[in-house]
Amino acid sequence: MTISIWRYSHLALAVSSFVFVFLASVTGIVLAFQPISEQLQPFKSDGFDTASLAETLSVFKKTYPEVTALEIDKNDFVSASVITEDNKNLNGYFNPITAEYLGEKVEPSKLFQFATTLHRSLFLKGVGRFFVGLCSFLLFLIAVSGAILIIKRQRSFKKFFSKIVNDNFAQYWHVVLGRLSLIPIIVITITGVYLSLLKFNLLPESKASHTVDFEAISETPIQEIEAFTVFKNIPLADVKSVEFPFSSDVEDYYTIYLKDKEIVVNQFTGEVLSEIKYPLVTLISALSLNLHTGKGSIIWSLILAFACLNILFFIYSGFAMTLKRQKAKLRNKFKKHKCEYIILVGSENGSTIPFANAFYKQLIKAGKKVYITELNKYETFKKVKHIIVFTATYGEGEPPTNANTFLEQLKSTEQLYPISFSVVGFGSYAYPDFCQFALDVDRGFKAKKAHQFLPPFKINDRSLEAFNQWIYSFNKASGLVLEIPQKKLVSPPKQTKALQVISKTDVVSNPDDTFIITLKPSRKQRFNSGDLLAVYPENDYRERLYSIGKVNGNVQLSVKHYRNGFGSNYINSLQENAVFKARIIRNSAFHFPSKTTRVLLVANGTGIAPFIGMTHENTSKIETHLYYGLREKQSLNVYKKDLDSALQKKQLTQLHLAFSRVENKQYVQDLLLEDAPFVAETLKNNGVVMLCGSLAMQKGVLQVLNVICEKYNQKPLRYYQSKKQLKMDCY
Amino acid sequence: MKAFKQLLNLGVVLFGLLSFTIASESTKYKCMIQMINYTGESAYVVVSLINPNGEYEKTLYVQGDDEEWYHDISEWWKFYGKKRTNIDAITGATIAGGARNISIVDIEDSKIDSGYSIRFETAVEDQEYYTKDVEFPLTSETVKSKQQGTGFIRYVRMMPN
Repeated sequence: MTISIWRYSHLALAVSSFVFVFLASVTGIVLAFQPISEQLQPFKSDGFDTASLAETLSVFKKTYPEVTALEIDKNDFVSASVITEDNKNLNGYFNPITAEYLGEKVEPSKLFQFATTLHRSLFLKGVGRFFVGLCSFLLFLIAVSGAILIIKRQRSFKKFFSKIVNDNFAQYWHVVLGRLSLIPIIVITITGVYLSLLKFNLLPESKASHTVDFEAISETPIQEIEAFTVFKNIPLADVKSVEFPFSSDVEDYYTIYLKDKEIVVNQFTGEVLSEIKYPLVTLISALSLNLHTGKGSIIWSLILAFACLNILFFIYSGFAMTLKRQKAKLRNKFKKHKCEYIILVGSENGSTIPFANAFYKQLIKAGKKVYITELNKYETFKKVKHIIVFTATYGEGEPPTNANTFLEQLKSTEQLYPISFSVVGFGSYAYPDFCQFALDVDRGFKAKKAHQFLPPFKINDRSLEAFNQWIYSFNKASGLVLEIPQKKLVSPPKQTKALQVISKTDVVSNPDDTFIITLKPSRKQRFNSGDLLAVYPENDYRERLYSIGKVNGNVQLSVKHYRNGFGSNYINSLQENAVFKARIIRNSAFHFPSKTTRVLLVANGTGIAPFIGMTHENTSKIETHLYYGLREKQSLNVYKKDLDSALQKKQLTQLHLAFSRVENKQYVQDLLLEDAPFVAETLKNNGVVMLCGSLAMQKGVLQVLNVICEKYNQKPLRYYQSKKQLKMDCY
Repeated sequence: MKAFKQLLNLGVVLFGLLSFTIASESTKYKCMIQMINYTGESAYVVVSLINPNGEYEKTLYVQGDDEEWYHDISEWWKFYGKKRTNIDAITGATIAGGARNISIVDIEDSKIDSGYSIRFETAVEDQEYYTKDVEFPLTSETVKSKQQGTGFIRYVRMMPN
């Protein structure tokens, strides 16, 4: 599998540094709580923010015979070292307004000391510091390459923060959390690198020293310290530390360290003897330290802790994805120039490959010589007669990375024999350009005058059912008898929860063989109309999905009974009060919009189930029209009560019905065409159209909608689809 | 058992009182250490009392509390590391290049003018270690003087408090 250079670097950097990064993140999380625990201590005094240096120094001078040092930390705690009346040395925190002793300086706990040393030097002193600094730099590169990968994935810088589709836990959260913590991580790494450079003296830090003209120094005019203009003008909050004159000799002076400069002040006259402004490097160093440690800010400390936690998750999810990709590698039994069948795979994250591999194995089993490879490795295969393409689509209808040059290669490459081809597209309705690239590949082969063995086939959300349908048609067309062992493609039921049957209508009383079943989750569970219920009739890998509606807190689904239907027979066999296990799958792409101008619900047959739930949930009474197609008038009976009550409560504005088995037969798309200006206006005003029902209906409706959009709004339907104004769940 | 414990407590108290009365007169000195403008990590500074035979007698003051580095101050560590006696004054912060620090050290009066010296040794992570950065005999003159350093210390100033 080709991996783009960015992804490869992202991975290579991660592999080479993850041990150190892991240690640094774990200790980083611990250390983030150091500034928080400091800030929570009660040593910040009222009046600190308004006090001037003159006030504080004079109150200290009056209270204590001798003050040797005064310091103000990032938490605005004032610490000092003084000698008391009874000649005792007193160190600790003081109140800057009253000079009252508040308590001993709290030394960082052993845990923090241990974590600090591990964090910055791994107990390896200089060598450790070098490695930690290096890994900080590597992590910076990882963050940058990750950001580039996100931009590539989203196809533009502007869409950096737009929605992504959740089709894989590790991948989804890797991207979502990656975007959230990108800035903090970049800040952490840059400041980390900067602090390392500082430790190794690689930055030009000039140490200017004060030059005091001792010849000109004078003891007069003598002033009280509270009258020193320079001290009066310095707010205490700007001071970092004060050095006191060592003796009462005039040549001993005050040195005041401020955030951006140092000043030397005559202890008798208050005259400024020298001033040094800090160079930029010093200021950046101080800023780096604060940003890296979170000193002085609880919120920033929490952000740092969150970022470190995310890094740990990235290590986990990154490797989980890599392992998954490794599993999806392509392996061959035969040489490519000896094979009659060539399977070409296009996949961005490897999820298409298990299907291609399963098909490959079955063809081999059927005694065929088969070669499987990536689309980009297309060339003249000396014996090829049949080409089968399995491909995903990436981003907005573009090829996946390992297929990005295929269409060009196809144009310029000739095969020795006439070939037949079939294309299978994998994708998701959640994206507007469902399987677009598969269609492009199909067109590309047609342009080469190759024989289309089977029409292009689209598979939604890795549906096994759909894949089997295609295998069925492939068998029919080729005369082969392939059967795909499904166990490897679908995992056995997971996360199932118990549901109890509350009520069920009778199949016999309905001309469409349709029944409604209402289920109550035995434990409280969050779900919405439009979510899916996965049912496992044999409690094995085989699952059947049903769109559900939420009615009075219960799960309601509408099922068409087929005599040999695997799922429908099972559900129909459930009696009232029976309890069985199933899984509710969140399908947020098909939820009723919480805010919009108008909603058009379009359904046929059992597709009405989620919509009944939605009208029940539409308590804010968003204008909602239901276009519903059935066979005959009696078909409506099972739903009548629910629909009437929704109409009465104005949660459903209007009901439009089409009957397909009566005189003047009508389909639901005909209703839409009749209301064309209304439909066009709905989309134009940011309204939403939702589709649920058979694929045949979907096809017909999409055609009609496209015509309407082009005619009235001069925009293709996909314009609205990309704005998520078209939601579909068809089967 | 209880009686024994009380007796023990009494003993401890008596011993404490006794040792207190034995302690001789001492004086506190203000002591300022001014560092040179070097770059790199902050320095560890250890101030010790040296007896007339040139051996360590007592640790007066330690600047820097990260014990991880103590054994880098190797001469002193040979003396202190074995016994780990309590030191009266350990402060957290090491002293950075160009900075200064004022501390209070307590010296028994009997050690002045009797052949004892005071030693300031300094060490910086991944840099030099100066065993005798500053060392001078304790006399009634030197305890109020300024002494030049030979390593990371520019000078030391002392005065009785």
